[in-house]
Amino acid sequence: MGILGSIAVFVGVAAAIALTLVGLALIPQRVRRMVGIGLGAVILVGLIVLPLLEHTTNSELFTLTLLLTTVGVSINWNLTGGFTGYVDFGHAVWFGIGAYVTGILMSLQTNGLGIGWPFVPSLIVASGVAAVMAALIGRATMRLKGPYFSIAMLGTFVAMREIVRVSEPLTGGGVGLTLPPYQNRPLFYYVQLGLVVALLLFTWWLRGTRFGSTLVAIREDELGAEMRGINTTRNKVAVFTFSGFSTGLFGGLWAYQNTFIDPDIAFVEVRTIDAVMGTMLGGLGTVTGPVVGSAFLFLLRELIWANFLDWHLLIQGLLLIGIVLFLPKGMIGVLDPRTTSISSLWSKYFGSETVDVHTGTSVMDALEDDDTTAMAVSADEVAVSAEAEGGQ
Amino acid sequence: MSTFSQALINGIALGGMYLILVLGFSIIWGVMGVINLAHGEFVMVGAYLAWVANEWLGSDPFLVVLPVFFILAAFGFVLQRILVNRVIDRPHLVSLLVMFGVSIILQNAMKLIFSADFRRNDTVLDGAWSLSERVSIPVTKFMVLLVALAVLVALHQFLQRTRTGKSIRAAAQNREAARIVGIDINKVYAITFALCLGMTGVAGALISPILSVQPFQGPPLTLKAFAITAMSGLGSVKGALGGAMVLGIIEAMLALYVDKIGTNLAVVASFVILVAALVLRPQGLFGGLRPVDATAS
Repeated sequence: MGILGSIAVFVGVAAAIALTLVGLALIPQRVRRMVGIGLGAVILVGLIVLPLLEHTTNSELFTLTLLLTTVGVSINWNLTGGFTGYVDFGHAVWFGIGAYVTGILMSLQTNGLGIGWPFVPSLIVASGVAAVMAALIGRATMRLKGPYFSIAMLGTFVAMREIVRVSEPLTGGGVGLTLPPYQNRPLFYYVQLGLVVALLLFTWWLRGTRFGSTLVAIREDELGAEMRGINTTRNKVAVFTFSGFSTGLFGGLWAYQNTFIDPDIAFVEVRTIDAVMGTMLGGLGTVTGPVVGSAFLFLLRELIWANFLDWHLLIQGLLLIGIVLFLPKGMIGVLDPRTTSISSLWSKYFGSETVDVHTGTSVMDALEDDDTTAMAVSADEVAVSAEAEGGQ
Repeated sequence: MSTFSQALINGIALGGMYLILVLGFSIIWGVMGVINLAHGEFVMVGAYLAWVANEWLGSDPFLVVLPVFFILAAFGFVLQRILVNRVIDRPHLVSLLVMFGVSIILQNAMKLIFSADFRRNDTVLDGAWSLSERVSIPVTKFMVLLVALAVLVALHQFLQRTRTGKSIRAAAQNREAARIVGIDINKVYAITFALCLGMTGVAGALISPILSVQPFQGPPLTLKAFAITAMSGLGSVKGALGGAMVLGIIEAMLALYVDKIGTNLAVVASFVILVAALVLRPQGLFGGLRPVDATAS
């Protein structure tokens, strides 16, 4: 396809999505849900049938597998970033850990450290390691709020890449690791498609459970949730651990298909950027938002930016600023009354209140009594809604 | 003993580099409440400017400090007016994401212009002065330390003595009150941002003979600036000196005593310091304009 052809295809896709969204916005909510499910089912059937078609090439399947990877990581990112409100700027670290543990276990033989493991056990151990690391690191970093958590996770990511780089006997250092080659594109495609669908259903189910409501309660009013007797730390770390586990799984799958890993491609910032942007574009804290948003971004890149490869990150940066400033609720978010926007999310921690330099206390402290009452009331609402939703 | 004193000297010299690196970041955060996630990228832009001056005009990085300061300050002024001003009253995360976007744009713009090759700048202030057989002072870093200290003193005087400096401090302490007594907050923010970006550009020019210049050198520098600021307290000029020295000495000790991999571990060290400082002592070791309120909800 030439540049014009791909632009035409993309404009067509974008117009279709925009029309669908406008159409969905116009119909009543109950019908909207049915239409949404119907659309999803049609797309899913299309994706299942696709590899069976004659002219689908392996490289196209690999591209779609990468798309599924991006979508999967975005769904995981949304669990902490969207539901709990802890915006993780180093999420790619779990992906890298999953990839590396898989790689290390499978290439033990070539490194002369023992017998190389088969893929499936390596993958399971790798996601397990990612989960344990997420639980340990989460316990420390999730004590921090708002931007401090984000930066601490960015630090975790950068530090982990260096740790992998210096642990040369195990990880091959900067040279990287070569995994035993195995090529079966349709198999991995179906595995990842199944994983993404399962993850999506899981997220949808989770959102309706008591645990899901707890997470949202933490996002909306963490102190209030605590006052109602919710153990916020345990819930936060639990979802963070799951998110790490699942992202590690995608990392391991990616490593085996890529057959080569080094610190700079396994731990790459772009993976975090894609997850953050995809989720924000689709709608932070929605169930389907990350899927729609990150698939959209991925197609945008494949179809148009592939022709301007050097420019694509630059455009992505501009797009990020644009989304933050002009579309804070995301594409799905504008349809869903239950979602939050990124700005409402942080205003309660870091509103424009001013801080007294000498005491370090907020000017708002003068109104402390009123605040506490307000907090208790909103905590009450959260708990009531948690009970109501948990009972469904 | 001589190895130890050598590491100490290296650490202090490195601390000088970090001092000039961190000042702009710390003051933007302390005064405007904006966490400048593109800080490392502004350092990188300054370094590229110095490299261009060296490549085309044969100018020494130490000579282009003033032009670089004014170019970056002008850039900062414009950026503040068109972008940062829009997000300054919004929650922290909005500005964080916007600056994240700016950092991606700058990295890739520089990659497009200069390619991803590592560049190295030369200076005549090179080599080492030996104090004894096994102890010597690295000249470039020592000169950077001197410039950094000069900038520090000038900045301190500016903030304490001049009217503009006082209004900057007032804006940091209480934005509303400053507005009430007639300080033009937008102007103060524009000046602060321009000043800090200028200093950051100078930092880039000065470290270009020390670290290789490349489009993706920014993020570790941002992380270090963050770690130092978390240690030293927001917007604290004197604290920045202490924090920079602590990080520099820790890194030099790691590089000396941990064989081969010590230099890479430096980034890990900054991360550990960062989290530990945020969790254990959010007000900073040296006290700042306001506390890093990391665990308050």
